[in-house]
Amino acid sequence: MTRNTEAMLVLAGATLASLGAAMVGFAEGRWLDATVALTFVSFALAFGSIHVAFRMWAPNANPLLLPIATFLAAIGSTEILRLDPDLAALQRWWLVLAGAAAAGTVWLLRSSGIAVLRRYRYLFLSAATVLLLLPLLPASWPIYGAVVNGSRLWVRIDLPLAGRVLSFQPGEIAKVLLTIFLASYLADRSEAMSTVSRKVGPFQIPEPRHLGPIVVAAGAAFVVLIYQRDLGASLLLFALFVGMLYAATGRGFYLGTGLFLVTIAGGAAYAMFDHVRVRISAWIHPFADYTGAGYQTAQGLFAMGSGSLTGSGVGLGRPDLIPAATTDFIFAAVAEELGLAGSVAIIVAYAFLVTVGFGIALRSRDRFRKYLAAGLTILIGVQSFLIIAGIVRLFPITGITLPFMSYGGSSLLASALIVALLGRISHEEQT
Amino acid sequence: MPALILNGLKILFLVLIFLFLWQVGLAIRSHIGTGPSLKRSRGGHELVLLRGDAKKGRTIRLRPSGHTIGRSAEADVVIDDPYASELHARVETHDGGTLVHDLGSTNGTYVNGRRITAPTPVGRGDTVQIGKTILEVR
Repeated sequence: MTRNTEAMLVLAGATLASLGAAMVGFAEGRWLDATVALTFVSFALAFGSIHVAFRMWAPNANPLLLPIATFLAAIGSTEILRLDPDLAALQRWWLVLAGAAAAGTVWLLRSSGIAVLRRYRYLFLSAATVLLLLPLLPASWPIYGAVVNGSRLWVRIDLPLAGRVLSFQPGEIAKVLLTIFLASYLADRSEAMSTVSRKVGPFQIPEPRHLGPIVVAAGAAFVVLIYQRDLGASLLLFALFVGMLYAATGRGFYLGTGLFLVTIAGGAAYAMFDHVRVRISAWIHPFADYTGAGYQTAQGLFAMGSGSLTGSGVGLGRPDLIPAATTDFIFAAVAEELGLAGSVAIIVAYAFLVTVGFGIALRSRDRFRKYLAAGLTILIGVQSFLIIAGIVRLFPITGITLPFMSYGGSSLLASALIVALLGRISHEEQT
Repeated sequence: MPALILNGLKILFLVLIFLFLWQVGLAIRSHIGTGPSLKRSRGGHELVLLRGDAKKGRTIRLRPSGHTIGRSAEADVVIDDPYASELHARVETHDGGTLVHDLGSTNGTYVNGRRITAPTPVGRGDTVQIGKTILEVR
């Protein structure tokens, strides 16, 4: 019954995507063309395969994860197609691949269950560390790190075939692996960490040795910030660590300490690094250096302002004037062409996704599954919050992708894996 | 392509977007009411501080090895309550059931308002009073 609802909603999402593609065609003066059909086929393949995988190997999975993901990807792909048809063609391939990977994950976990991941936690930790360090490889190696927009978070591989270059962001996958590690680690230790053992003044604090993880977290986030100059990833990792500690122990102490540490680290980063100072000044005074550092933020603001209530219509605005409109700033592009109505719809969809995710975490009886569901939800929630907040100038620009919507294979793959894992966790809770 | 048709399409698209979200929202609402979380078992696995000098809502997860509760720094769970004894009470979990023992405290341990004289089983929703501090099993 509910699986059929899921199928209907996924189909509706795929239809929205092809309707979007058709609108892009109309605006450019073309009648229905092959892109419309290709969009529908890629969505049906990608999300249909996850749906079939759920049906076969996790029949009690929450039926709402997939429709929301399809919806977000549909709006995103419409805007990508409107901005850059070549990227949209690539994105269709990424979609199908990410869908296949997610379906494969559901298949892999079909009999062993999600608990099998708990056993390999140090494997995941090492893999995540290696992935995070990959972008630091020297440029002379066959696999090498690359600096894009001042951040060193890309890895490129020169394929022997036809001299093609394959690039990906290993950090996207690393964050999912780290979440699995943390969930497993905390499932073993949360009791000790939540019992109060001593008091210092008005604060009840846990044993000092239980503070280890949070200090390591702050350190890791800071290292990422220093060596890869990636404000977004470091904040995301830190929020993940602190959020999961809080979810596992229910102690506000960790949130308070986390906030304190992030303030200290933020102040230190501001004092030490030029690129952080530039980000902050572009956030507070985007028009002071309109043609330079503030350009992206300012263009995003113009785009959202001209979008007004219902937007210019797909294909009728000028979102191509926003730097990185297909990736980090896709929210501004949607806000221009679909207006406040479209952007509110996106925020509501993310809120729904977070609701469903925390719902799964709350229902889980097993600690590992509970913390994993909470962690994966924190990832999606914090990541979408950080970048949307950056675009609307609630927060400095962090330069991370919007899950499911931005162009990018690594980002889509990570988001699809999160959906597969959440689906599997909710399946195990119902049986 | 005339602007009128494009504008109409835009509005149609937005309407469809919100119809879709409306359906998802309805499904979430119906899903929340039927979760297994509502079918609770009787055994609780945490103690929540309801009233006392310490921070309200503080949660102590019950562990199989048990906790001692009291004013002393040696107690597993320290409560800042002048009416509590150094080592006031002990909470243990056996086979999913939870037992409260009074450790010879001066002011006594109360389960649901009654002073206990022997180890007393408690479940979800029961209150345990130690001194002026009240904890609830959840």
